[in-house]
Amino acid sequence: MLELHQVHKTYATPQGPLSVLKDVTLALGPGQSMALMGESGSGKSTLLHLAAGLDLPDQGVITLAGQNVASLPESARAKLRREQLGLVFQQFHLVPSLSVIDNLRLQARLANRDDAEWTSYLIERLGLSGLERRYPEQLSGGQQQRLAIGRALAPRPPLLLADEPTGNLDETTAGEVLELLLSLVRETQCALLVVTHSPQVAAPLDRCLRLRHGQLINTAL
Amino acid sequence: MIKAMPTVLATLLAHYRRHPGQLAMLLLGLWVASALWSGIQAINATARDSYARADAMFDTQLDQLERRDGAPLSRADYHALRQAGLPVSPILEGDIVTQDGTRLTLIGIDPLTLPSGNPLAQTDTSASLTDFLTPPWQTRVAPDTLAALGVERADASGARPDLANGNRLPPLELASALPPNTLMMDMAAAARLLESGEYLTRIVTAPNALSEPPAGLTLTRATSLASPGQLTESFHLNLTALGLLALVVGLFIVQAALGLALEQRLGMLRTLRVLGVSGRTLIVALSLELILLGIIGALAGIASGVWLARMLLPDVAATLGSLYGAGVGQELNLPWHYWMGGLAVSLGGLLLAGSGVLWRAAHLNMLELGQLQTWRSGYRRQLTLMSIGGAIAMGAALALYGWLSFHPPGQGLVAGFGMVAALLLASALWLPPFLALVLKGLTHLARRRPLIHWAMADMQLQLPRLSLAMMALLVALATNLGVSSMVGGFRITFLDWLDQRLVAPLYLNAPSEQYDDIDAWLAEQPEVFERLLTRRSEATLQTAGTAGDTRPVGTPIELYGITPGESLTPHWPLLATQQDRSSAWAAFNDGAVFVNEQLATAVNLAPGDQVDVSTPGTRETLVIAAVYPDYGNPNGQILMASPQLATRFDAPTSSIGIVLHEGADEDALRAALGDRFGLGRDALTDQGEIKRIATEIFERTFTITRALNVLTLVVAALALLASLLAQARSRRQQLAPLWALGVPRAQLARLNLAQLGGAALFTGLLAVPLGIAITWGLVDIINVAAFGWRLPLYLFPGEMAIILTTAVVVALIAAALPALRFWRASPRTLLAEEANQ
Repeated sequence: MLELHQVHKTYATPQGPLSVLKDVTLALGPGQSMALMGESGSGKSTLLHLAAGLDLPDQGVITLAGQNVASLPESARAKLRREQLGLVFQQFHLVPSLSVIDNLRLQARLANRDDAEWTSYLIERLGLSGLERRYPEQLSGGQQQRLAIGRALAPRPPLLLADEPTGNLDETTAGEVLELLLSLVRETQCALLVVTHSPQVAAPLDRCLRLRHGQLINTAL
Repeated sequence: MIKAMPTVLATLLAHYRRHPGQLAMLLLGLWVASALWSGIQAINATARDSYARADAMFDTQLDQLERRDGAPLSRADYHALRQAGLPVSPILEGDIVTQDGTRLTLIGIDPLTLPSGNPLAQTDTSASLTDFLTPPWQTRVAPDTLAALGVERADASGARPDLANGNRLPPLELASALPPNTLMMDMAAAARLLESGEYLTRIVTAPNALSEPPAGLTLTRATSLASPGQLTESFHLNLTALGLLALVVGLFIVQAALGLALEQRLGMLRTLRVLGVSGRTLIVALSLELILLGIIGALAGIASGVWLARMLLPDVAATLGSLYGAGVGQELNLPWHYWMGGLAVSLGGLLLAGSGVLWRAAHLNMLELGQLQTWRSGYRRQLTLMSIGGAIAMGAALALYGWLSFHPPGQGLVAGFGMVAALLLASALWLPPFLALVLKGLTHLARRRPLIHWAMADMQLQLPRLSLAMMALLVALATNLGVSSMVGGFRITFLDWLDQRLVAPLYLNAPSEQYDDIDAWLAEQPEVFERLLTRRSEATLQTAGTAGDTRPVGTPIELYGITPGESLTPHWPLLATQQDRSSAWAAFNDGAVFVNEQLATAVNLAPGDQVDVSTPGTRETLVIAAVYPDYGNPNGQILMASPQLATRFDAPTSSIGIVLHEGADEDALRAALGDRFGLGRDALTDQGEIKRIATEIFERTFTITRALNVLTLVVAALALLASLLAQARSRRQQLAPLWALGVPRAQLARLNLAQLGGAALFTGLLAVPLGIAITWGLVDIINVAAFGWRLPLYLFPGEMAIILTTAVVVALIAAALPALRFWRASPRTLLAEEANQ
């Protein structure tokens, strides 16, 4: 599903080039789940952004759904994101101008995979029944993150990328949201790559990788 | 907390070190707003100064005496009145021509008999009265007239410039109280230069010094005479209205810039509050910041305004001269209160524009930033209030229209402007609710097209921040369309009217004693088809009304004689007749008269009415057969058949229009006329030349209107740009997730442009009917009240297309910068912004 082969990424800074990822290689098969842990600034989010085609590597190859991401023009990378990926952010990033139901269906519609039955099911599973006409700011943090997870899963993508999906939530809500996320991932059988600080989030996943100073230091959980 | 103020202020201002563009935008808004406003006020102040000086002259400050039999006044009349113990004073007035060809008004006075308290008797010259009264006498002149005399200010005192006819003026003495283009001297010196012999122009007396006119004379009270200030009131009101519009639109930029600065400093403000800075200290600091920036922007604006006024003043002076015959100096003359007023208006406007920011800062929640939810419901309330406000403004516009309908057409200049302003306000206030309603409907319609659906919903979210700029754009576009349609319609009407009036290909202006011989000679030339003699005479309209019911008027008018015939009669435009055109012309040939529209409007005359007209030596009752248009003429005019004017009022010939047979050799006739009568090259003017000069004057008249119109539109475009830049950052934060979800940046940038372009097109479409309504208000109400003539309403589809294109182009240009920044932003930047949201 997703392969990174000898990926390097460096950013220019006023203090000189900053190497964020060094020679990173990993693979995530269909239906598998993986946690990517590491300290702040270790390069976790950069790796996730590269995997999503939001940014490009300086060296190495990233293969997503059989396509070399770096060789694709931006429009094709955008298409890949629309159709092959679901993205969940720590800050939710719901569209404030759209209602709950419109936010939920947004990516499915963009990918031409809007399925009313699946949407209704998701609404119920996400615990958002009765809130469809509300706007994002009228929801609690937990509800907003559940909605963001629903939006990512609405087109049934083969790969879900989540960046600290519970980082903005309290412990209880985080637990509930994580449980819901894993349960829906299992139902949709999509692959999952989660960037997290939290061992609790990483624990139920198939594999855990750790990044330190831009390098993968072990592959065991 | 006073000790903390410098720190708080420095912290607040530090924001602009990181965002110099914002500071530039804020200062730009203040600068353009106060530049246009103060520029116009500088022009108005200078013109008012000129009017005040002219008012101080005899015309409007003193009662005037004329002979009842219409004969010219003479020194003997004056001496008789003085011997009778009456406190009267003589005035002699005429034109002299300087060496550079400038025509100046020369006024002769007798300072010993001039009523005390008259400003002319107290000019600021330091020279003694003896110097004024005795040879070589003195020429008193205002500094702004020196250029016409070819004299530098430093050399002015005592200089003796030569005139075109070789005469020499008495030594100059500066007197700044005099109006521009006016010279004043003792009666004796003036009589010599004007070669007036025993005649006087008028005899004046202090207001109400005489309870009734002496035997054989008529008395015209000072209060019944219109001053230049009154005549030009409409012009200055028009300028002030455009200046106010520019100020308001400029303040929209300020408002947008301040909104942006607050938006980006909410975190800082919250932190300051958390660190112990009281809300009051914060408000005082923000107010100080506003005042500091306001003073910088206003001073720059006033300096630029003065420069702008200096650039525009010659055209304004030409306009006022050609439209109203009012003399305005070419040098800016700005009193101290102009500078203070400019600063006060700019600062006041800034505080008004910043009041929303101060209010928001005062109500800042320390624990959470402005939530969208409260903001969303707040905006709904705001839309409701705008709808109600719009309805009230529209009600006011309708009420004023109702009031105007029940009053004579020449009245209600201020009410007319008020009606147009209320209409603009109503439309501007209704725009955001209307846009919101339309967007809501479109959002619903586009629910199956996710991106369009998002774009529509997103526009609803952008609306609150864009609404002010859109309102400014609507007002600027509609005003632009309204004014340009009025000017365009005026141009068509004016050129048609010139074609109708100027039927002869050649016009001859010769010395008056030669006209009879020339006319007789022309009558014998086989190539001459018709001779159109014109005659002119100044007169006074004594009474007006119907046969049994006349009312006193006492207005100076002009009698103008034309030669009706095959060339002129079919083309001469008539606005109103008692029966039809042919009966009107038949009556005209029999001695009836036509009156121009401005006189008909001012004195409320209609075909069938009769007027009592006097000239020196004659008083006649004339019946009105028709009303005719007379665009551009500031005076009331009565038109008579040329032979009638000669017989009844002894008016001299003033020109001859020469109509030739088809194919006749015009050049040969010109040459023959020149050879035979020794006429100079300037004596014969062809029709094309007259039209060219008239058109030039016309174009110059509207230079300032056009300049202000374009500047207002530029300011509106800047307001839109400022609003878009103000929300560019938050827009990118809203667009970034969509990009992350797989919508290409190019598509998002295009959507962004389409959103703005669409909103501007919609605004432009609304501006079209509003612009037409403004044109109607201008030509049908304001023009009639201001000038006395009504213009036909012309619509220009080309202008409308330009307005719509302008609206879209302005929006696209304004949207292009933020869109470009979004397009060029690296994904990492967008994500960083996303993460920092």
